[in-house]
Amino acid sequence: MTTVTITSIPFIRFFRREGIGILWLIGLIFGIVLPILTVLLWAFAIKWRYPSVLPTEWGLDFWMETLSRADIRRALPNSIALSVLVTVLSAVICLPASFAFARLQFRGKQGLLLSFLFTNAFPRFGLYIAIAVIFFRFKLVGTFAGVVVIQLLNTLLLMIWIPTAAFQGVDRALEEAGLDVGASPLQVFIQITLPMVFPALFAALLLTFVNTFYETYGALLIGAPNVLTIPVIMFPLINNQPIPQFGAILSLVLFAPSVVLLLFANRLLRGGYLTAGFGV
Amino acid sequence: MTASQTEPAPHSKSRFSTVLPYLLVAPPILMVFGLIFFPALQSTLRTLTDAETGAFSLARYEMFFADKTSVTSLIFTIQIALESLLGLFVICFPLALYLRFNTSRIATGVQMISLLPMFVPGIMSAYALIRFVRGRGLFETLIYQVSPLLADAYYSPYVKPEGIVIGLIWEAIPFTVLILLAGLRQLDNGLIESAQDIGANRWYIFTRIILPLMRRSILIAFCLNFISMFGAYTIPYLLGPAAPQTMGVLMQRTLQDYQQPLEAETQAVITFLICSLVGLVYVQSVSGERVRKG
Repeated sequence: MTTVTITSIPFIRFFRREGIGILWLIGLIFGIVLPILTVLLWAFAIKWRYPSVLPTEWGLDFWMETLSRADIRRALPNSIALSVLVTVLSAVICLPASFAFARLQFRGKQGLLLSFLFTNAFPRFGLYIAIAVIFFRFKLVGTFAGVVVIQLLNTLLLMIWIPTAAFQGVDRALEEAGLDVGASPLQVFIQITLPMVFPALFAALLLTFVNTFYETYGALLIGAPNVLTIPVIMFPLINNQPIPQFGAILSLVLFAPSVVLLLFANRLLRGGYLTAGFGV
Repeated sequence: MTASQTEPAPHSKSRFSTVLPYLLVAPPILMVFGLIFFPALQSTLRTLTDAETGAFSLARYEMFFADKTSVTSLIFTIQIALESLLGLFVICFPLALYLRFNTSRIATGVQMISLLPMFVPGIMSAYALIRFVRGRGLFETLIYQVSPLLADAYYSPYVKPEGIVIGLIWEAIPFTVLILLAGLRQLDNGLIESAQDIGANRWYIFTRIILPLMRRSILIAFCLNFISMFGAYTIPYLLGPAAPQTMGVLMQRTLQDYQQPLEAETQAVITFLICSLVGLVYVQSVSGERVRKG
């Protein structure tokens, strides 16, 4: 008769090796995944009565109701227009600058580049209050332009930091080789430099778009109540609405662009883009 | 679209090529100085002067500190931020250590889940946590499946200070794990192995090798999280109690509900001043590193 030692049972062996990992996994599923899942379930629930673990009645009824609300039909185009405009403006303002930071020599470069990092030292919400006081005087509060400016501010760090690192990483020898074989500087830029920095630029644009799409503080303090975005109209819907589905559905609308980010999550992580601009 | 502007300048010492870099960096630099540093400075100076005479005056601060609600808010916010930071490090430190020394598929899964909150919009996090932890939310429902009696004893953190702490920790986990991991990545496995070879125990390795190497990451994670937690609005407003309020909620109400921009400005400057204490540590740490790297 063979003796079965406890460690020879595959499951036990697996647990001994991965025990801590499994505990982390369970803990994080409870703490992080389940709250997110709650939103998904509410968005597709018609009835969900305690103590049922899952909705008792499923359906898309509330989607029609939510998306046809007047405030949402006004806020959604605003949100999209703002995100597109702010991302484009941010790129136009920051990309030439990040090229200069990476490739040109000038006095005070290091200090100017660091000044972007120093903006991290300000609490955003307090800062926007201070800016709102100034915007009051210029009659920018409650205007589309005011929201564009404040959201643009929010994007500068990322749009400078990621592309600067990317332009610095370009292999100069390749560019010089291109010039040697008679390509014009413009051709070299388009055919050699740009493809090499493209992943980083794409990451910066994507992150900027998504961040702006769910930017809340600036839109709330500068835009409301005239220029409403989806996150801003969600406050009253979450706080005083007896119907939880509204908040859930709008959460998913807001989350939609992030799904694209999630698809690239691994690359964003490996490229260091998720911690770009914090001085790590 | 910006290709022609970003052409490398010709290698001549013409006046144009000395000015060009400044022209290129001017727009974002002007925005940062004009719309971040300048308003912050201007607000600070304005709170220190009498609006009519222009003379130095602390009247606005006296008013703030004479108001019970304001002072309670300030203390409450500091308390919340410190409690959240403590909880955050208690979770993230071991988590980062686990992720650094494990490469199994489980560890990959753990890392992916720990980064998830980074992709969730702030207001969605607040909504998700409300629906999860409130009375008769999904969490209580799950407890109910285990034991209805246990569910009756469930204490929901929703609209309580604990709710804010949970929310702030939840949002900060990904960033903190990434920063701490970045610090741990500088750690050489060989170093630990050789320490083990000469008989160093785990505690010794942790305190003498790992901790010193992580000093900078810990500092950055502490400072940046303190600043963002101290100035948070969405989570405290949606998950916290009606009173006391955090500074973020107080500022918003003062500015928009009570229409008192001057008082709101004083409150904002007070948050600047408190955050500047840790902000300076951060700035010093970052610029020191850049100078060292060259």
